[in-house]
Amino acid sequence: MKALRKLVLGETWTLPLGVFATLALALVLDAVAGDTPWWRHAGGFLLLACVLIALAVSLAPAWRRR
Amino acid sequence: MAGVTAFLLTLIGAALAVGLELLEAMAIVLAVGSTRRPRDAVIGAAGAVALLALAVVVVGPLVLARLPLAPLQVVIGTALLLFGLEWLRKGVLRLAGARAPSSSLQEYLEEREAMEALPPPEPGKPDWPARIVAGKGVLLEGLEVVLIVAALGAGPQGLAPAVLGAAVAVVFVVGLGFVLHRPLARLPESHLKYAVGVVLSSFGVFFLGEGLGVEWPGHDAALLYLAVAFVAVSQAQIHAVAVRHREVPA
Repeated sequence: MKALRKLVLGETWTLPLGVFATLALALVLDAVAGDTPWWRHAGGFLLLACVLIALAVSLAPAWRRR
Repeated sequence: MAGVTAFLLTLIGAALAVGLELLEAMAIVLAVGSTRRPRDAVIGAAGAVALLALAVVVVGPLVLARLPLAPLQVVIGTALLLFGLEWLRKGVLRLAGARAPSSSLQEYLEEREAMEALPPPEPGKPDWPARIVAGKGVLLEGLEVVLIVAALGAGPQGLAPAVLGAAVAVVFVVGLGFVLHRPLARLPESHLKYAVGVVLSSFGVFFLGEGLGVEWPGHDAALLYLAVAFVAVSQAQIHAVAVRHREVPA
């Protein structure tokens, strides 16, 4: 089970939490503003920004450690 | 042009991901086979392949084929992001020198050492430790292969480039198996895994957006600028982590 969890979620909790937080935010925005032009045209870049922030947060221990 | 870009990115992503996972699985099976009885290593690996075939049937026709396109893209985009960002995170750490480089040869040597520490198999009896270690290695690496190929195969170009990339990888890795182990030591595995992280993450964001009704400027060509964004940001992170590690040595 530990190996399977590591396979699906990886070695850290921050990255899967960041991905699921991005997904939750995207689903909320899609429900609220799914028909608006800004979501259709800028929503993708918002998703990209959220994912890049999640990646940066997951790497934060490497900046602080040692 | 956009279609060709998506086709090539899918093919390259599938070939690299499958090749690297197969390499790791092969390192484990070879280590088990060379320290215990080769027959037991093959039996363990074959059992895992049978379970993977079952997973292909479940993931393909039973799950993916029944979901509507938009929710399917959201599920696949999320799965690709989970895999891709983890490959990318490890890639950043490896290329920054904050983590040991990826090496299937090292994995092979470590697995050999672990197997040599076990009591030798009794003659005429099944060697269950060898079968389980070989089977588990193939099953875990293979499961990732199945999920990545299935996810990339749900892309704009369909299964063809993902399966073609996987086939190229299988031929390459099996060929490499015959001339092991010097070529294995020379493979830039850390760089290749970093590239897979970029490709999978780009497809992940792309699918997630498509599934939620987002219109990407340039359509399939968006994969290119998404990949450029991931490369730019991760290269900056590699530089920052590397500088930090030089400032504060272990």
